[in-house]
Parts: sequence; C-alpha cells; structure tokens
Amino acid sequence: MASERYHRQLILEGFGASAQSKLTAAKVLVIGAGGLGCPALQYLAAAGVGLIGIADDDTVALSNLHRQILYTTNDIGRLKAKVAALRLHAMNPEIEFVVHVLRIETNNVLEILKDYDFVLDGSDNFESRYLINDACALLKKPLIFAAVADYEGQLAIFNATDEKGETTNYRDLFPIAPKPGEIANCADNGVIGVLPGIMGTMAASETIKLITGIGRPLINKLLHYNILSNEQYELAIIAGNDYQLPQNEADLMAFKYNHISLTEPMVIEIDATTLKDLQQKTSTLLIDVREIHEVPALDQAIYRQVPMSSFNDFLSTDVEAQNIVLICQHGIRSVAAAEALSEKYGNTKNIYSLKGGIVKWRNYFIN
Amino acid sequence: MEIEIISFGKIAEFMANRRLTVDGIETTAQLKDLLEKEFPALADIKYKLAVNKTIIQETAELKSGDIVAFMPPFSGG
Repeated sequence: MASERYHRQLILEGFGASAQSKLTAAKVLVIGAGGLGCPALQYLAAAGVGLIGIADDDTVALSNLHRQILYTTNDIGRLKAKVAALRLHAMNPEIEFVVHVLRIETNNVLEILKDYDFVLDGSDNFESRYLINDACALLKKPLIFAAVADYEGQLAIFNATDEKGETTNYRDLFPIAPKPGEIANCADNGVIGVLPGIMGTMAASETIKLITGIGRPLINKLLHYNILSNEQYELAIIAGNDYQLPQNEADLMAFKYNHISLTEPMVIEIDATTLKDLQQKTSTLLIDVREIHEVPALDQAIYRQVPMSSFNDFLSTDVEAQNIVLICQHGIRSVAAAEALSEKYGNTKNIYSLKGGIVKWRNYFIN
Repeated sequence: MEIEIISFGKIAEFMANRRLTVDGIETTAQLKDLLEKEFPALADIKYKLAVNKTIIQETAELKSGDIVAFMPPFSGG
C-alpha cells in the first residue's frame, strides 16, 4: 500500500527506499498555515513526512482564499490548523499530524520545537521570524525559511551545517528586526497568490532535500526570486557577529521580540559630531558594548566597557548619567543595547547610539 | 571605477539597478554613504550588502567590475 503511494518517487534514480524511510522517520513543524504553509504542508504530507506539526492560531478569512489553497469558502471562521490537518489527513492518512492551535511565543516556542527535527517558518511577521530563528539556533534545529514581499520571495536554510562545517542564522543576514512600517507585510501591501505558492513549494522541496540528503540544499544561502521577471539571485551567507543570540531559555524568555513599540521615544542615532558635543557635557556616559577582544581597543578611562554578553547584568544596575551613548563596531549592537536601556529609563534619560559605529568614525576614535 | 548596483524589494522602488562610474570610492562604506546621499530613503531601511554574491559583514574594498547587491528583509507569508 504505502509503497504504491510513493511509487513514483521510489523509482526515481537517487531517491528510492532509503530516502523514503528518512521521510517516514522525519518530524517537521510548519509554523503558519497560510500562503507559504499551505503548499508546503501539502507537498510534505504527500511526500510522506512521517510526522507533521501545524502551528497556527488564526481562522480562515475570505481574503485568505486566493493564496491559502487548503481552505474552501465553507471554512471561513474555522481554525486553519485544524482544517489543514483534516484536509491533509484525507490526502495521506498514513502519516501523523499534530495540531498546535496557538501563536508561537517566547513562553511556548522551545517546548513545541523540541519534539521536531526540522522547522519550516511560514509565518508572516518579523516578531515571529526572529523568535523562531533564535529558538532554532538555541536548540540547533535546522530552519527552512521562506518569506515574500510584493512580487518577490526569499528562501534559505539556517542552523544546518554546510560542507565546510559552518552554520548561519537569520541574524547573520539581518541582525535586528526592522521597525514597524519600515518593511510592509502582505496585509498592508497585497500579494499575488501564486508567489507564496511557489515559495512555499520551494520551502517544501528544500525540506525534503535536507531530510533525504539529495541535491544541494540552500544551506547558508539566500535565494531571491522575482515572479515578474522569473529571475533568481543567490547570495552566500557568512557568519557575522553584530548580534547576540539568547544563550538559554531564561535569556530567550527575557528577550523582547515585540520590543519596538509604536510610541516614542525611540533610540536616537547620532554621528561623531554629536558624540563630540555630548562628550563636552558633564552628565554623559559613553559605553563600548563590544566584546573585550575586539579591536581597536578604546581608552577605558573615556569609554566604559560593557560587552553585550554581560549587558543584562549592567541593566540591573542604575546609571546616574543623564546622557548615555552606546558604541559598537558597526552601530548595530549599540542600537539593541540602547533600546534595552531606553525601555528601562523611558523618557527620564537621553539614550543614543553611534550610527555606523567605530568603523565609520575610525578617525575620531584612533586620533 | 565601474560598479554594478542591484537592488531588491522596497529598495528597488527608489534605486533601480544601474552601473555607476565612481571616482574616489574605495570601500562599501563609501559607496553606502554616496548612495544614501542620492537616495535618502536608503538610510531609513535595513538591508544587507553583498559583493559579488557573497554577503559582507565588515566594510569591504571595492574594485572595478564588482557587483554590489542591496537586499532588504522580507517577512510576508
């Protein structure tokens, strides 16, 4: 029976019974049963992935139906995860489904992810994407990432080891999340249904390649696809160090993934001229958040060293200075540090981040 | 020196793909400064730079004929 279901891929040169048994043994969690999740789920289920988790807290809406092809007009108002499991079970009753009717959040992500071997991120917002990335990095789970914007899509595999023994994660590409409104989502900007259809199908394809070991999966690569021109552009991802990942569960729980509030104040990014002005003021504290081994080393009498790795300890102490300027190598970690401080102190202090960091204003620091 | 600029997503809406003949530009940081002056919207958006299809984590030296890609993050699903 089972072998007849999978006959056409079993007879495929380079696939066969060993690949099929790897699929049967695999446990894949698909987060988001929407435009990306629907086609990904269909192909993973059809191919015979042994256990598929479906995480989604949303219900079907009429405006979903042009791209979320597991659902019918009669499903409007019903829970996507449950409807999806029902349809997929009818398609392939020989595999197991686990329905998670919830939104992936800091307090449930690790518990849910730990039971799966692979995670496919088909969510639709940066908050979830950074959380899923960080949780996968912490648990060392391979993450298949797909996302769309307007007529373009992105696809990548993170936390999987390439032939050189290296792994990367989403923060190597984009260390911190964009501000609300900086990058629009589908609800704001619209999307043509077939685009997430293509990207979700490609994500399923990468997942199957990763599970079975066939072909060249997109490990440490970002594939960009443009549906209007049919062009693909592939970038190699190399590891960076402009970010801090949560190191344990407590870290992850304390991390603010929705930290960017719509209400001001936000962190003010300054240039070296403003930094110089601030340095003249008496109540200014300058903080270098780089790790201690990073060069160039700054004069510690002027720049207090508080590495990001111990920044949480620093946050629990109180600062007297009225103006606090955060500095790092490229001005990325310093924004994260400044945001954490601005959450603590609100409007009571002026908190700045040096835009572009020491690299940009090298002459200012070296002379 | 001639540099090819390729942009994606929202960045492509205001900065079309182009070949730039630039003098006095030696690094990606200088190129960013130049383009952020010409396209102020670029300074307000997060993106990753890639030189010849490999992303860069530090400022990189540029040479004639290099292809520099500007890739913003996507979140939609």
